[in-house]
Amino acid sequence: MIKKVILSALLFYFLTLLETSFLIHFSLYFSNLILILIILINLLENRKENFGLICAFFGGFFSDIFSDTPPNFIGFHVLTYILISVFIKYLFKKHVQFF
Amino acid sequence: MRFSLKKNKILIVIILVILLIISLNFFQRGVKNFFYLISEPIQKWLWREGIRVSNFFEGILEIKNLKIENEQLKLKNQELLTENTELEELKKENEALREALNFGLEKEFELKICEIIGKEISQDSLFVNKGSRDGIEKDSPVITQQKTLVGKIEKVYENFSEIKLLTAKENSFSVKVFEKDIFGLARGKGNLKLILDLIPQEKEIVTGDKVFTSAEGGVFPKNLLVGEIIKVKKSDIEPFQEIEIEPAINIKDLESLFIITNFKK
Repeated sequence: MIKKVILSALLFYFLTLLETSFLIHFSLYFSNLILILIILINLLENRKENFGLICAFFGGFFSDIFSDTPPNFIGFHVLTYILISVFIKYLFKKHVQFF
Repeated sequence: MRFSLKKNKILIVIILVILLIISLNFFQRGVKNFFYLISEPIQKWLWREGIRVSNFFEGILEIKNLKIENEQLKLKNQELLTENTELEELKKENEALREALNFGLEKEFELKICEIIGKEISQDSLFVNKGSRDGIEKDSPVITQQKTLVGKIEKVYENFSEIKLLTAKENSFSVKVFEKDIFGLARGKGNLKLILDLIPQEKEIVTGDKVFTSAEGGVFPKNLLVGEIIKVKKSDIEPFQEIEIEPAINIKDLESLFIITNFKK
């Protein structure tokens, strides 16, 4: 569990730095890499795992730290990404059947 | 009803996360400052490499246009050679005048040099590596070494600051059209776009006209280059013209900036 927490914290820390300082220079780059990765992890992971939620927390946390949208508030991205993760998990639990 | 720790694990985690987020907001400036401080070397390196790599790839993508561009440049070169001779004479005159007036950027303003470490993806704002510890104050104008306006300081942290670019939606400031004595209001439209407002229909403005800041309003010092007119639209039913300005700054090429520390409104 601790391994997962450290891994996702480091992953999303460097990803945020990459997005805000490196990828910003490419005119073709217009997407939100962090959000895409969070959605992918939540879609692909085992339904009983909770790595997607941890990723959503750290992805949101670093997005909040390295941006000022909305101004003067830490937590907007954390809550949004966690809600997205919970929603994906809920959809899978209720409506997707694996054989 | 019995309280089961296992069943309520998710609920407890969610409550803890919410509490953590609320408490982080009390120390927001400190938390942000800490992360920017430890990330500064990596961000500086990433920013420089980003410029280098994107220039390389943009070069490859533009190869097909190079032939046409080359022919256009040859023609332009001939024009410029003629212009150059005239400018040489003007240069000599200008140098003499500069000496006489003791003109220079550092003499005109008190400046602090800073380096860009990041840009916000969805907003027109940049982060630089100078903060309150270096004497930076809110609303200080930021320029390039070519005396081009970049924006103003929006937020100051201990070790870094946030610059709202001149194109940010919140920004509006008075400007004048070079050599025409026409004054107007430049408004940021976001997404690196800028418009020139409050120009009556009868005023003659053409594409290519240069726009500079004016002293009215006191938001920025006068005579800083803002950009060039790229689109003028006149309409009989509107009181003012619709004018678009291409900002003179190109974020992708910026590395070092200057913060004017002695500007008083």
